Amino acid sequence: MLVKYLLATIVAGLFAGILLTPAMYVKNVPLILHAEEYENAGGEGHSHDAPAATTETVPAAVAPHEHAEEAGPELPFGRFGNTLLINLVAGAGFALITGAAALFLGRRITVQNGIYWGLAGFFIFNFAPAFSLAPELPAMPAADLATRQAWWLITVVLTAGGVYLIVLRDQIWAKLLGFVLIVAPHIYGAPEAEDLTSAVPPTLASEFAVSTLTTNLFFWVVLGTALGWAIQNYASSELEA
Amino acid sequence: MATARTSDTISLPLASRLTTAVVSLLLGVFIIYGVGLSHSETLHDTAHDTRHSYGFPCH
Repeated sequence: MLVKYLLATIVAGLFAGILLTPAMYVKNVPLILHAEEYENAGGEGHSHDAPAATTETVPAAVAPHEHAEEAGPELPFGRFGNTLLINLVAGAGFALITGAAALFLGRRITVQNGIYWGLAGFFIFNFAPAFSLAPELPAMPAADLATRQAWWLITVVLTAGGVYLIVLRDQIWAKLLGFVLIVAPHIYGAPEAEDLTSAVPPTLASEFAVSTLTTNLFFWVVLGTALGWAIQNYASSELEA
Repeated sequence: MATARTSDTISLPLASRLTTAVVSLLLGVFIIYGVGLSHSETLHDTAHDTRHSYGFPCH
C-alpha cells in the first residue's frame, strides 16, 4: 500500500476543499439563499423585478417540496460549518478518485501537469453533466431525482472513459469512440421536468449556472495543482520502482 | 522536455500500484456518493449547499 501517496492526495483534497468554501460564498451560496426565499415564501414580499404573475403561478408547483423551512436533521455546525465540512470531505473524495485514476494509468501527477488533471476532472464531473443537466437552484423544476442522479452518474462514467480514450490513446478508433462516449448521454438527453414553470427568476438560474461552473473550475485547477505538489513532495519516493 | 516526459509516468509496476489504486478509488467513490448522491436526509441537509453548487442533482 502506497500510504504516503494516499495521504498526499487527501491533503491536496482538503486544501482544495478549504479554498472552495470562500469561493462558493462569493456568488453560489448567496444565489442559493436568494432562491430559497422564493422556495419558502412563494414569491410574495419581494422587491425584485420578477413580475407578480410569474411568482403567483408557482406555489402550486412548489408546495409539495419537502425542503421548505424545515429544521432539518443536518449536522450541528451551522450552515457555513456544514458546507466547509462537506467541502473538505468532497475535496478529499475527488482527490482520491483522481489519484486512483493516475495510479491505474501509471501516470504521475506533477505540479506542471496537475492543471490538466484538474481540467479533466472539471470536464468529467462538472462541465459534461452540466451541459445537459444545468446546475439547479432550490425550487427550480426538475425531473425525478433518482432518474437525474442515474443520468448524472452514467454521464460522468462515460465522459471519464471518453477523456481517457481521447487523451491517452493514440489510435484513431479510440479517439472516435471517446468522442462518441462523451456525446452519447447528451444525444440521449437528460431527464427533464414536465412542467417548467419556476418560482425562481431565470436571471438567478443563469447566474447560478455560470457562477457554479466558474467556482468548480477554480476548485479543480487548485486540486490538480495541489495534487501534483503534494505527490511530488511527499510521495515521489514511493513511486520509484 | 525529455526529462519532463519521463517523469509524467510511474515506473512502479501495476501490481505494486493496484491495491492502493483500488482502495483509493473505492474510498473516493464512497465519499462522493455520500456527499453528492445519498438520499440520507442528514447527509442531504448537511451537504445541501455543496450539492447545489457542485451541480449534483438535488431535491
